[in-house]
Amino acid sequence: MPESVVVDVNVNGVAYQREIEPRLLLVEFLREEIGLTGTHIGCDTSYCGACTVTLNGRLVKSCTCLAVQADGGEVCTVEGLEQNGELHPLQEAFSEHHGLQCGYCTPGMLMASKSLLEENPSPSREEIRKGIAGNLCRCTGYVNIIKAIDAAAVKMQGV
Amino acid sequence: MEMSFNGYFEVGIPRADTFELLSDPEKFLPVLPMYHSMQKKESDPNASIVKVKVGIGKIHGIATTEMFLQDNEPPQRASYVGKGNVMGGAYNLIVGFELAEAANGGTRIDWQGTTQIHGKILSIAGGGLRGIAEKEIIKVIDSLQDALVSKEHFESIGIAAQERPISEGFFASIVNFLRGLFGGDASADSAPVESPAEEEVPTTVTRGPLRKDAPRSVSTVVGKSIQIDADGNGGGKWTGQHLRRKEDERLLRGLGRFVDDYQGSDMLHMGFARSPYAHARILNIDVSAADALAGVVCIMTGPQVAEQTTPFMQIGAEPGALIQDHGIALDKVRYPGEPVVMIVAESARLVEDAIELVVVDYEPLPALVKSEDALKDEVIIHDEMGTNRSFHGVWDHGNVEQAFADAAHVVDIGRLHFHRFSSTPIETSGAVVTWSPRGEIDVISNNGLPGVTAQMLAAFLNVSTEQLRMKSEDVGGNFGTKTVNHTYIGLTAVASHAAGGRTVKWIETRSDNLASFHGGERTFLDTRVAMDAEGVITGVSSRHIDDAGGFLRYEPLGCSIWSQVYPGTYGVRNLHIDFSQVLSNKAPCTPNRGYSRMQHIWFMERVIDICAHEMGIPADEMRRRNYIKPEQMPYTTPNGNIYDSGDYPMMLAKAKELIDWDGWKQKQAEARASGRLIGIGIGSTVDSGTNNFGQVLYVNPDQVFSGNNEAARLKVGLDGSVVLTLGSAPQGQGHETTAAMVAADDLGIGPDMITVRTGFDSSWNTYAGLSGTIASQFAVTGLSAVHGAALKLKEQLFRLAAFALGASEEELEMSVGEMGPQVSVIGDAERAINFWMLSNLANSNISQVPEHLRDITLNALHVYKPPFEPVDVEKKIGNQTLTYAPQIHIAVVEVDRATCQPKILDYASVDDCGVAVNPKIVAGQVHGATCHGIGAALQEAFQFDDGGNLITGSFTDYSPITALNMPEIKCAATETPSPFSFNGAKGCGEGGGGPLHCVSAAVQDALYEEGIIVTESHNSPSILFELMAEPNAAQVVTNKSMAT
Repeated sequence: MPESVVVDVNVNGVAYQREIEPRLLLVEFLREEIGLTGTHIGCDTSYCGACTVTLNGRLVKSCTCLAVQADGGEVCTVEGLEQNGELHPLQEAFSEHHGLQCGYCTPGMLMASKSLLEENPSPSREEIRKGIAGNLCRCTGYVNIIKAIDAAAVKMQGV
Repeated sequence: MEMSFNGYFEVGIPRADTFELLSDPEKFLPVLPMYHSMQKKESDPNASIVKVKVGIGKIHGIATTEMFLQDNEPPQRASYVGKGNVMGGAYNLIVGFELAEAANGGTRIDWQGTTQIHGKILSIAGGGLRGIAEKEIIKVIDSLQDALVSKEHFESIGIAAQERPISEGFFASIVNFLRGLFGGDASADSAPVESPAEEEVPTTVTRGPLRKDAPRSVSTVVGKSIQIDADGNGGGKWTGQHLRRKEDERLLRGLGRFVDDYQGSDMLHMGFARSPYAHARILNIDVSAADALAGVVCIMTGPQVAEQTTPFMQIGAEPGALIQDHGIALDKVRYPGEPVVMIVAESARLVEDAIELVVVDYEPLPALVKSEDALKDEVIIHDEMGTNRSFHGVWDHGNVEQAFADAAHVVDIGRLHFHRFSSTPIETSGAVVTWSPRGEIDVISNNGLPGVTAQMLAAFLNVSTEQLRMKSEDVGGNFGTKTVNHTYIGLTAVASHAAGGRTVKWIETRSDNLASFHGGERTFLDTRVAMDAEGVITGVSSRHIDDAGGFLRYEPLGCSIWSQVYPGTYGVRNLHIDFSQVLSNKAPCTPNRGYSRMQHIWFMERVIDICAHEMGIPADEMRRRNYIKPEQMPYTTPNGNIYDSGDYPMMLAKAKELIDWDGWKQKQAEARASGRLIGIGIGSTVDSGTNNFGQVLYVNPDQVFSGNNEAARLKVGLDGSVVLTLGSAPQGQGHETTAAMVAADDLGIGPDMITVRTGFDSSWNTYAGLSGTIASQFAVTGLSAVHGAALKLKEQLFRLAAFALGASEEELEMSVGEMGPQVSVIGDAERAINFWMLSNLANSNISQVPEHLRDITLNALHVYKPPFEPVDVEKKIGNQTLTYAPQIHIAVVEVDRATCQPKILDYASVDDCGVAVNPKIVAGQVHGATCHGIGAALQEAFQFDDGGNLITGSFTDYSPITALNMPEIKCAATETPSPFSFNGAKGCGEGGGGPLHCVSAAVQDALYEEGIIVTESHNSPSILFELMAEPNAAQVVTNKSMAT
């Protein structure tokens, strides 16, 4: 295996080229190579979802994806949700409905919710539960997260 | 911040004349009402130095700005660019006019203005600057419009202004600058701005449309302020409002700063080779291969660490105090996952590589897994102790013997067991430590109790506490578990020292976390319950064994903490609890949400439900008969705890209503008829908050902790901004928001005008020896500290303002004026002085104030100390916490006959935390605690095989509760204010483990007719399967006629 490889990854619309260890995980690439620390690490078995981002439009747990797998791809992280100083409706709803406490799971939770609403713009509460089943939150009991996603869906539908 | 304004108006003066007036700084600028004086800049004919008057109250002066005529295109366009600096900030402004000929021979003036303001100055008016600016620009345009009645009139105003005498002094503030710039009154006290003599307005002049009708748009880019929910109802106060949190702005954007977010190109990383055995002797350690790996900086074994350190302080007395705990194994390992070799390398990945190259020879020893086995002392875990029992004490209150002699019914209950689990915050423990060669030790971590931890670390590292800078910013949850990560922080410091002072980061993996920090486990034996004929419990006798795991890291404090809620929610006066704690070959226990009390309340709730079933009394009725009555509040328990308030029967009634108790009773009967197993269970808890550390004396009479304290600092900055610093180390509880709300109420301003520093930093000098976020205390300790600091600050502000405004303190009030937070004379809005001015007087403009006011700093520290008395160690009597927040939970659970899978069908909770400072945050705490309890009751457990191997060592096996498993819950609250806190609030963060109690009760209710008693707090399908296979009701024996 080579000691290093060069990858080109577009993150939140910005192109990055880095020379990295081939074993570097995508989450490590995001946090350590390009300094986007909003994507968090919460476990080592792909269970918690704190590291959830999208790669080429699909939801991935970036701790279970090598950075080289993202070579030539497009990654979107929590830092890319805000547009022109405006929070994403999900971000607004999470704050409005107190869907976050410590904020550690929040970036992954937002990415999973965004993906959910893109696939299913008006999910039932049960569908919301399924949509975020891969993301752990230890603070909120999920109650207000579900409420927030529900509210954001309604708002986004109304626009 | 940038603000833009524009609009138009029409005047009767021809365009050429209008242009002449507006494009000549000497004619135009003096017309502005705040004009003071002007001189042309010699080097640039288009530049003028303009002085404007600013001021308020006794304070007044002149601010200077440089104005350039930039864009001069006769007769269509003129624009001015201005810039200046003021303390703590800078501003630029552009004012432009486009002139067009109007139909009547006059001129249409399209104006636009843009102001950019930079620097700290922005915080002066908080979110209010936009409103001020908008209002002031209107005044300027008004004055221009008025002046442009005729050319002569315009010029006469300018001449009059230029002839006014110049007053002395210099005083600048951006807020006043804006006020001056946009045309406000300069100073109530200075020479009034003379208006030119009234002139008759020539009737021939056609005025343009009224300014108010002119289109005008205002756009601003400012930080968002807190918004009030639609359902907010605070009666004019912030307390009680459902406010959005200040914290959210950064956390939602991924801009929180957690310990792992600290990065540096020269930062080293640390990790451990850990024990694969529960109990084994270390025969040999070979690190040569690891050492040879490129990028490995240093490797240390336990004995090498021990050479440089003093064993960690033990909280308890001997024999536990004899334990030699260096945070890393010395000669043997005592739990699976114990650190054995410490490795420091250039990257976290290299650390992992090196760990794999470490070779350790072990000689396995018998593992002690079950508490009762540990108590036998056949195998000793810490040889220096000579026993595995780290604590033994007897709680004996009332007359238990008599109670049993007089009892109508006596129930004997067999072994009950509360299992190990953890609330596993998603962020694991971590630390970034730099031990500089100068001896300063910078500790960034996510520890939750920095005051006490600093004392632990200093002793371990042989340094002074004052060499340690303890810091945390955002913390990704804690739930008590990070209270005791001090051993790892200490080792990270040792690593930094060994690496020559380079910064070392230690971030725990999830597997490491699950192997290292467990919530408390307890076994209850020989339980006997005395009751009268009505089922009222008159006496309880029992023997409890708490299992601390391999080391005592906060223990044996839990051996005292449980007795905060000695009788639970019940009125029983005669109790005898023989309480022991043992060490075992499992991970050291940590405080974990509901710490030690949850275990005990689960025991009391099991007692109630088992007795209720034995007596044939419905669970709700059994509780009603046994609850402490509301009229008994404040209620002193047999061991001297003072339950402050609460109406348990009312809460139960509310919870029953919420869940439709009668409806479910009917459904339950119908389901039973068809063979389905549905149970309804109640859990009654008390979440005791605000510790009296004096209870440590119950486990160590020589210990030197007692009472409690917490600090807060509220200051007015040099630029007038209000900054609040907390001694608590928040972990998601919204301290920034609730603290700002309390301070805002005290100061009469908005929470968004208060900057609350993120996290904890000992270098802020705002902490006390017991500072931290533990034990459901912030609502009382933290907010009382904030309140105290606010009152001190207010007192200083009033003294200074009384001087400045020439008023008495009694005449003053706090308010928010056009220039932000201010002190004003009641009923006289013109006599006001804002915080910036007051800060200037206190901190920068010293000789302006008389000697007797020079002690004022506007920097107020307050340390709150709850009114605790020393406890009676002999009798074990004393008030152990200040507030006692009850919660009543009800669960409806169905157990599937085929799979034994329990499922929650319905769930309700009613909590009472006294006055809720922010109901949104309180509800969030209730939801979170409920979720933890449900997870623990149904799916989360640390399980071990007979060899002591942890078999649920990853999230995949431990399976924390997800959104799929969390049922819909119905929540309500009652509010009985605590008489012991200034705001009537009680701590409520821990929740008392309500779901564990009610799920156990519901499962028992579902299975009682199958001959099953619930004796485990964990209700997994496998446990229920075993119970279904071998019903255990026989372990409960009732003697129904002892004394009758």
